[in-house]
Amino acid sequence: MAFQPSKSKKNLTKEEGSLNMNSMMDMMTIILLFLLKSFSTEGALVTPSEELRLPVSQQGEKPKKELSVMISKSMIMVNDQVVVPDMNVIPKDQMIIGPLASKLAEYAQQERDLEIDVGKEFTHQVNIQGDEKLPFEILFKVMFTCSKTEFYKMRLVTIKKG
Amino acid sequence: MAYKPSMRGKAEALDMELDIRPVMNLMVVLIPLLIASAEWVKLGVVEINVPPAKGPSAGGPGDAQDENKVKEKEMKLGLKIAIAHDGITIGNASALLEGEQGEGPTVPLTAEGKYDFDLLKKKLIEIKKKVKGKGFKDEDRVVLTASADIEYQTIITTMDYVQTYEDDKGDILPLFPQVNFGSILQ
Repeated sequence: MAFQPSKSKKNLTKEEGSLNMNSMMDMMTIILLFLLKSFSTEGALVTPSEELRLPVSQQGEKPKKELSVMISKSMIMVNDQVVVPDMNVIPKDQMIIGPLASKLAEYAQQERDLEIDVGKEFTHQVNIQGDEKLPFEILFKVMFTCSKTEFYKMRLVTIKKG
Repeated sequence: MAYKPSMRGKAEALDMELDIRPVMNLMVVLIPLLIASAEWVKLGVVEINVPPAKGPSAGGPGDAQDENKVKEKEMKLGLKIAIAHDGITIGNASALLEGEQGEGPTVPLTAEGKYDFDLLKKKLIEIKKKVKGKGFKDEDRVVLTASADIEYQTIITTMDYVQTYEDDKGDILPLFPQVNFGSILQ
C-alpha cells in the first residue's frame, strides 16, 4: 500500500530566495569609475614590438602626440613610414642621416605651410622613440639631424617605472 | 457623522525590489570594454632642449671680440659627464674629476661590471652643493657624452640620476635638470 501523502508538507510554501546584489553593484561601480578615469582617447602613441623596446626611466612627463621618429633595431621610421630600411648603410663619417633629413625637412615644410595657411603653430617638437639597445652614435646622429631640420625640441619617449 | 478611520496605518509597506538587471547588463558590457582599451604601460617623455641649429657665423673679427668680452663676464661651469666602457667621468673644460685611485674614470664600474650610478649621483650632489649660488650661469646644465656604442638605456638611466636628487628631508630637488648632448667620444 502506498503511503498517504503528508499533510504537513502539503501546506509548506516553497522557499523563496533572492541574491543580494548590493555589494557586487558597489564593486562594479568602483571598477567602472576607475576604468573610465584611466580611459584615454588619445590613441596609441607607440606600437610595441620586439624590434622597438623603449628604455625604462623613473621620471618623465605625460607624452603628447607629435611627429614621431622611431629608431628600431634595424630601421628608422618617421610617423610609421620607413625612411632608413637598413641601419648598416648609414655612413660612419657623416653626422646627418640623409634620407631622414629630407623626410623631416618635408614635414617641417608642411608644418610651416600649415602655420601660414591655418595658423597652426609650428611647435618644433618631435618624439624620439628608440630601442633600448640603440648605440649612442645612431641616437646622436638622429638628434643632430632633427635639430638641423628645425625639430629642435626633442623628447625621448620612455616607459615609466613605478 | 464621524469620518471613517484612516486605513493608511494598516496599509502594508510596499515591498518592491529595484530591478537592477539592466544596470548589471550594462556593467558586464562596459567593464570588459574599458579593460580592453585601458593603457597598462605608462609612457613618459624626457625632454631635451637643444638650441636651434646655428647657421655659419658671419661675424667679423669685431663680433668675435665682443663675444669674448661677454664670455669673460659670464661664469661658466661647463660640466660634462662622459660615459665610456670603463666607467663615467665627470669634468669640465679645464679639469677632470679623478677617481679614488687617482687615475681612470671618476666613477669606475662596480665589481659586477655595471655602472655605479649611485656614486655618480653622490659626486654630482657634492658638485651641486659647491657651485650653488656662486653665480654660474649654467649651474643647472650638464653636457652628456658617451662612446659610440653605449646603449640608449644606459644614457636614459644616467639622465634619470643626473636630473634630480633627494635631500636629507626627502624633498626632491633639481640636480642638473638641463641635459644637453655632446659629441661622440672617440
